[in-house]
Amino acid sequence: MSAFTSRLLEALGPDVVRTEPEDLAVFAFDAYSEDRLPAAAVIPRNAREVARAIAIARECGEPVVPRGAGTGLCGGAVPSRGGLVISFARMNRLLELDVRNRRARVQPGLINLELSHAIASQGVFYAPDPSSQKISTIGGNVGTNAGGAHCLRYGTTTNHVLGLEYVDTHGAVHRVSLDDPGYDLTGVLVGSEGTLGVITEVDVRLMTVPEAVRVCVAAFADVESASEAVSAIIGAGIVPTALEIMDALITRAVEAHYHAGYPENAGAVLLAELAGTHDDVAAGEALLARIAKDHGALSWRAARDQAECDALWAARKGAAGAIGRIAPNYYIQDACVPRTRLPEVMHEIDAIARDHQLPVGNVFHAGDGNLHPLLIFDRRERRQVDAVVAAGTEILRTCIAMGGTISGEHGIGYEKKESLSLVFSPDDLAAMGNVRAVFDPARAFNPDKIFPAGARCGEVGPPVHA
Amino acid sequence: MIAGSPKSAPRVVEPADAGELAAALRAAADAGEAVLVRGGGTLLAAANPPRRCDAVIATTRLCAVHSYDPRDLTIGAGAGMTLAALAETLAQHGQFLPLDAPFPARATIGGTLAAGWTGPRRSAYGRARDLLIGSTVALADGTLAASGGMVVKNVTGYDMGKLYVGSHGTLGAFVRANFKVLPMPPARRFAVSRFDPGSRERLDAGLHALMVPPVALLIRDGFAALLDGDARGDHRPEIVALFEGSESSVERGVRDYRSTLGAAGVAETRILDGADAAAVFQRAIDSVVAPADGQEVTLLARGLPSEAVHRAEAARTALGANVPVRTLADLLTGDVVAGIAGDAGALARGVARLRDVLGRAQIVASHLPAGVEIDAWGTAPSTIGTMRALKARFDPHGTLAPGGFVGGI
Repeated sequence: MSAFTSRLLEALGPDVVRTEPEDLAVFAFDAYSEDRLPAAAVIPRNAREVARAIAIARECGEPVVPRGAGTGLCGGAVPSRGGLVISFARMNRLLELDVRNRRARVQPGLINLELSHAIASQGVFYAPDPSSQKISTIGGNVGTNAGGAHCLRYGTTTNHVLGLEYVDTHGAVHRVSLDDPGYDLTGVLVGSEGTLGVITEVDVRLMTVPEAVRVCVAAFADVESASEAVSAIIGAGIVPTALEIMDALITRAVEAHYHAGYPENAGAVLLAELAGTHDDVAAGEALLARIAKDHGALSWRAARDQAECDALWAARKGAAGAIGRIAPNYYIQDACVPRTRLPEVMHEIDAIARDHQLPVGNVFHAGDGNLHPLLIFDRRERRQVDAVVAAGTEILRTCIAMGGTISGEHGIGYEKKESLSLVFSPDDLAAMGNVRAVFDPARAFNPDKIFPAGARCGEVGPPVHA
Repeated sequence: MIAGSPKSAPRVVEPADAGELAAALRAAADAGEAVLVRGGGTLLAAANPPRRCDAVIATTRLCAVHSYDPRDLTIGAGAGMTLAALAETLAQHGQFLPLDAPFPARATIGGTLAAGWTGPRRSAYGRARDLLIGSTVALADGTLAASGGMVVKNVTGYDMGKLYVGSHGTLGAFVRANFKVLPMPPARRFAVSRFDPGSRERLDAGLHALMVPPVALLIRDGFAALLDGDARGDHRPEIVALFEGSESSVERGVRDYRSTLGAAGVAETRILDGADAAAVFQRAIDSVVAPADGQEVTLLARGLPSEAVHRAEAARTALGANVPVRTLADLLTGDVVAGIAGDAGALARGVARLRDVLGRAQIVASHLPAGVEIDAWGTAPSTIGTMRALKARFDPHGTLAPGGFVGGI
């Protein structure tokens, strides 16, 4: 046992600290392909224990990686240099609910959907809803500034975080709020993927449950025409709560698994949700249906009841899982383009996949221009693995060329750090590096993430782990 | 109001583009000078005057629209563009950006962002920081640094825009900002009523439960009447609400609102429509920082919406029966504004007393005699150490508005 693990055990006890390889295995990976065992993991019960563990890691020169549910697709929670993983599995409570002021204080390990379930009877909800929301945590969502299907109207996680408690690299606990004078440290911490501080409490903004919600499904001949319809809807000045597209491959996989009632023979399906007053929802549906039909919709229908709405959404959010049943392996890309470029980018992605002889499925937040092409391959075939990597990079370059970016909601993590310099200049990255240098000069918090090796803000300089 | 050397006023530079602005900053930094980057100057009182100021860099000429495809619902524009010019560009395509800053004909995009202004419609549409999707700033060493982009969902790198918004130009100067914009609501109504002070509580209780809430809801007390022709001498508080949305929802919202007011004993409500509604709403925003009479100071304190009415009441009585305090309570955001007039000594004492009552309160407007300074910020937050370290890292030589920010940053 190393000095590091024995100090952790001494300070926090065996109930909090894990050091055996078989116990550490679950902290070695997330939903990305890389993994590595940490030297130790802690499952603290409060911020004080988090702070203690961080202080010990610092004194021992060990890196620190915070971990939510490990659903991240970009390796953001992988302890790529070993060190300490902090799991928030026990810090999972709703601490305070203030319905009148539409806010709640939660611990980072609280599962996203459990928050909304816990407060539903009060007529309020928490808007950010990544597809992983049944298992992913609020803390993890804050780390990646997670999005979801309803960002179109409600914005992403950062628009719903009013304040934070975090532990700094010295092991000191701080509280920040949007109401504080001075720099917006809250806004900087959200989406920093655990590289600036370890979040131990989150003050979230809640929203009022709308009077009416309607979920509609339209069938199209192909993804391009569905994308044209989405561009036309946004261009017409309508902002529904969600506009999602699934192509034929995804729709069939989803229907085989969920039987939610999507038209299986369509080339593409548009899922649209409207929310507001009864009158607004009815008028909005009529307008959306007309635009969809003008852009080639083959059918349009609204869900009859809540159960059908729920089924349609469950199927949409389970799309990646449904593909997992029919494909040996798949790789989800996450990129974003200006919304008017959607039809064009869908066409390009199709061409890229064909060039590399890879089947591609598309399931995406069309209203936001946020794409998730899903490349299907077999890990055992070297050619296919190489093709997936090459196609993924080509897709990112295509999106950048169209004025887009390389991650809309999943984060950069380990996977895309080298691609960051495709989007930002050395000066741009140096400014971000200034922030890193202030919060975490030793780069002990989640090293190897976000920034390219060799960038001024990256991993140059003395290693944190000898 | 620039506290420069008493012998020579700071020189004013008006760069033609981002490159020139960055070069001007670099030259100043190399010469060891201190610089204030200035937009329309409408919110300069919301920070302390810099300790030193050798040059003022005006963003006036950085006023171009860089990128605007209305079908994308995004726009990118130069930091020196005025909010009025931006609004006009957007309105031609039925769109708007609810930044809600005072004096939009003079206020600039960059200045509004730097001041971190958050208007009364933010519970409906978000704050400036939420609407900003990308930006380019000129840093103290003259480099240009971009972050974000032109897409509405973006988690590529740190969200640097958040850091610069509200930094009062102490970390860098905005040269360009990209926003997500919104389709203009088809209908808009502004409701104005006077009410008996005794019914304040009943009003507050009824109004927060409206099914179709207004996008702004303010109680103004001691401010000049918003509508011409209001009986002079009527010193009762005024409650104002802005409704925006579809015709049917606005109509329903106003109907429910009026009946709630009626139940609380408010007899008369005047309703303005469309452009009139927008103009009077803007006047309500302007009135927060507009000079009323003589020497005065206006503070803004944040808090919970449920406590806004109480806190405003506490501020109104904080200085005793003979010293009037004009207040504004924002029932949706929790902001409380308190304004006082008087001689320099009375203002200093009044600000201190109001900070006792309201907690941390920032000065947003002041009209003070020369030589009088009252700290605009009050107590610094506990994270001031991190903030100081950020300033030292971004601006090691203290080039950008030194000393004007929280905690002497």
